Amino acid sequence: MILLQVVVSGLLMGSVYALFSSGLTLVWGMMNVINFAHGDFVMLAMYVAFFAFTLAGLGPVAFVPLAAALLFVLGVAVYMLLIRHVMRGPMLAQILGTFGLALLLRYAAFWAFSANFVTLPDTLVGGTLVLGGLRLEAARLVGGLTALLLTIGMHLMLTRTSLGSRLLAVAEDRQAAMLMGIRPDRMQALAWGLAAASTGIAGALIALFFYVSPTVGENLALIAFVVVCLGGFGSVPGALLAGLAVGVIEALSAFWAGAVYKDVMVYALFLLVLWFRPQGLLGKA
Amino acid sequence: MKRTVAGLVILLLVLLLPLAVQNEFYQRIGALVLLAAISASAWNLIGGYAGQVSVGHAVYFGMGAYSALLVYTRLGWPPIAGAPLGVAVSLLLAALIGTPTFRLRGHYFSMATIAAAELIRILVSNWELLGAAVGLMGPAMPRSVADLSFTTPLPYYYLFAGVLAVLLGLTWWMQRSRMGYWLRAINGGDRAARSLGVPVLRYKLYALLLSAGFTALAGTLYAVMIGFADPESVLGILVSVKMLIMAALGGAGTLFGPLLGAAILVPLEEATNAIFGGSGTGITYVIYGAIILLIARFQPEGLLALPARLRAWRGRRRARAADAARPLPSATAAPDAENA
Amino acid sequence: MVQTTRRRLASIGAAILASPAFVRGARAADAVRIGAIYPLSGATASAGTALRNALEVALDIVNNPHPDLAKLPLAAGSGLPGLGGSKVEIIFSDHQGNPATAQSQAVRLISQERVAALTGCYQSSATLTASAAAERYNIPFVAGEASAPSLTTRGYKWFFRTTPIGTHFGVAYADFLGLAKQNGIPVNTVAVVNENTEYGTSVSEAIIKAMQEKGLKISLHIPYSANSSDVSAQVLQLKDTKPDAVVFVSYTSDSILYMKTMHNLAYKPPVLIGDDSGFSDASFIEAVGDLAEGCINRSSWDIGKPGSVTSIVNEMFKKRAGHDMDDTSARGLQGFLVLCDAINRAGSTDKQKVQAALQATDLKADQLMIGYDGVKFGADGQNERAATLLVQLHDKNYITVWPEQAAAQPVKLPFQGWSN
Repeated sequence: MILLQVVVSGLLMGSVYALFSSGLTLVWGMMNVINFAHGDFVMLAMYVAFFAFTLAGLGPVAFVPLAAALLFVLGVAVYMLLIRHVMRGPMLAQILGTFGLALLLRYAAFWAFSANFVTLPDTLVGGTLVLGGLRLEAARLVGGLTALLLTIGMHLMLTRTSLGSRLLAVAEDRQAAMLMGIRPDRMQALAWGLAAASTGIAGALIALFFYVSPTVGENLALIAFVVVCLGGFGSVPGALLAGLAVGVIEALSAFWAGAVYKDVMVYALFLLVLWFRPQGLLGKA
Repeated sequence: MKRTVAGLVILLLVLLLPLAVQNEFYQRIGALVLLAAISASAWNLIGGYAGQVSVGHAVYFGMGAYSALLVYTRLGWPPIAGAPLGVAVSLLLAALIGTPTFRLRGHYFSMATIAAAELIRILVSNWELLGAAVGLMGPAMPRSVADLSFTTPLPYYYLFAGVLAVLLGLTWWMQRSRMGYWLRAINGGDRAARSLGVPVLRYKLYALLLSAGFTALAGTLYAVMIGFADPESVLGILVSVKMLIMAALGGAGTLFGPLLGAAILVPLEEATNAIFGGSGTGITYVIYGAIILLIARFQPEGLLALPARLRAWRGRRRARAADAARPLPSATAAPDAENA
Repeated sequence: MVQTTRRRLASIGAAILASPAFVRGARAADAVRIGAIYPLSGATASAGTALRNALEVALDIVNNPHPDLAKLPLAAGSGLPGLGGSKVEIIFSDHQGNPATAQSQAVRLISQERVAALTGCYQSSATLTASAAAERYNIPFVAGEASAPSLTTRGYKWFFRTTPIGTHFGVAYADFLGLAKQNGIPVNTVAVVNENTEYGTSVSEAIIKAMQEKGLKISLHIPYSANSSDVSAQVLQLKDTKPDAVVFVSYTSDSILYMKTMHNLAYKPPVLIGDDSGFSDASFIEAVGDLAEGCINRSSWDIGKPGSVTSIVNEMFKKRAGHDMDDTSARGLQGFLVLCDAINRAGSTDKQKVQAALQATDLKADQLMIGYDGVKFGADGQNERAATLLVQLHDKNYITVWPEQAAAQPVKLPFQGWSN
């Protein structure tokens, strides 16, 4: 029973990982650009949620879409001002660009919000559901399920709508897409906006049950990379599976091997995947 | 010829600087600049010349630092005696990490280096022998000259300058040799290089081994000067990023780029900390981040490439002006006379 | 056009070089300058900022007359009478949580700012490197907060520490748990949960050792990575093992996470001890104070009754920081007062004289604003009279409950926790 509880906790956390990683995998698959600032986007979204609540009294139903919208704008802006230019340059420039952005965002957050931890009150989405012998924190349950639905939604959008097929076309072959009358620049900007929006939602959801501080981005970024690599670049279903897997592996290794080794397990798994199956579980080779 | 003269002038400047600037604090900054330049130049070998952007070089730096403090803590030796151990362990790690990861392209490779470095950092944080999270300390008070625990920064300055000179000399020789030629080919693209007959994997590994060895040496020198190492300060991701940024700022793949980058960023960090530090707003890293962004966006080849870029830009401007000033061909003149 | 750019660059450069950071300009005559290095940015900035506020309160106490604080040395008058009434000046510096930066800042404060002494640095790693620099330059260093035992085992002659350390806490907890038996709560097994950076590791080691010496069995030792996103696995392990008491050694974010997770998984240990740091932080009390009713914490600091010296000092702190003073800041404040007192007795800022004055320090408990038995440094620089109290959280306030002679009210066990 305790084991089941551990696995369920892992799955819930994992679906949140899946959500913000699905945005990253889209960007990565389309443009071959790593966004080192991805974790800090999530961090900003958490602050949006916090301030929306404390300054305007908005609840999650309002601040989750708000965070998504604001982060969407940020994503597009980052693409237009930075990514579009560094993409044409050497890889070093791409890495530097997003790393610099990550540092800038993180320390600007320190400056603007101070290093104090802040939390949303438990009453927002509070309480614990008891199902069978399982105790599920309502906030995590809501967060996890929403993340799951949205990830599936994103996958459906990509594969079943014409907008989605246009995005995927650019990812597959930029030149051919241009010849078909698709504007790659616009699609790429949109992809960045969507990726950022997914961090917006994920961050706002996480803020329901986790503390908010400028440092949360660092850890989450690494997890996002692991999930994306494991799932396969460009594959949203891959990100979903991998996110859930990472969540469960983290929880199980914390329970069995001791909490300090949970990160080790995740990184070791990551390296193994890179060595044996670099395209990830569901990615294209 | 001009380049060699420039190089010698820089060398002379570095050697004579402390005599001109007697202030101890500035001398210490100078020593720190040279130390940073050593690790950035070491990174440059694999990241700049060979184009393999490793973001996990902290692991070699950390091994160097820990080895020095380990031989002191467990064996009572002077920390510098740990240098060979640090280099040996780093070479081993480089081979272990490089062999599988060099098969990966571009971003995958960078990601893998980050994961490997973080893995090692976590393992070290939980290993009692290496002091776990608490870290290791160097000699509290120097027991002999061999402990290299000086009260003034000057000896450190010249020690680091010496090591940097050796490293840069090696780099200079390498870039003119066949290895340099092949690394540049690899930088241009694995497949293209292979089609030219370059043993890609082997030479990537050589570059990494050289780079890791010198980075380890830098770590040892750091431990000797600062006298303390813990997982966060010598194995953390910020250590890797700083090496990378200094090399890129000055110019990755150039000889003096990393030194220039270090000469700008280290004093800048000190200055912003001194000016804004008391207010505690973390402005130092906001500025750092902004600089990195600007370099990536506007001058990714680094500052050393700036004069050439300006010249090219001026040249194009002149050419355009000349074009505009040229009289239009008259209807009566022979057509051929206008075509140069 | 290039000319103007060059000129502009030159003037910016000159402005930077001429800034107070680089040039020793005109200073207030006779002011005694002390350097303070704290993490004013980065992850631990909230602690660093609180310490800065605390030191500014101490500065106010020394430099301005405070007759209502007369029992504290130097509070009644203005400045340092032993130096002809000279005022004290603090130069703050940020080490950003980085030990190498802490050392550089120490060197800068010593060689550029010519400080007479140093204090700091909150984290033990930063205190290690900064005090190593101070030792090389023969500058006195008084540490008020850092608790790693290794700081006083180096054989340093210029390093002095006023705060109790891990070994004190361990003994206090072990003794207290022995007492719990008398309250009807038999405690035979203890679980220790600690974050695995330097703070958690060194303190938990000391606690485990002290517990074992007292005959208590450590049934579970859970080191975990600080800043985890989910600790359900660890809480489930605790729930499985059912220890009689749990000791947490965590920073704020983790403490909050643990309380919330325990609440959600319906796990209440009979005795819950939170070792300072995270559990003392105002954000902890605000976020989960209602879930942690009755948790035990250690503190050398107690606000005390209104009108008492400690209460007045707390009010001064509250005006600057906006919240009550916490234990860590109080210990930093006391350390600084001890340093000023020594300089005063030395009658000069001469290094040797200040060192001698520090070595001769002999303060009694009633001359302090904190709950030590006094201040007297041993040969290793550690305050032999350092002590800690144990406090219990009641209605979002910590009340002293141990040792019994200092208790404001008797301890209430078992751990009450949440009420729903």
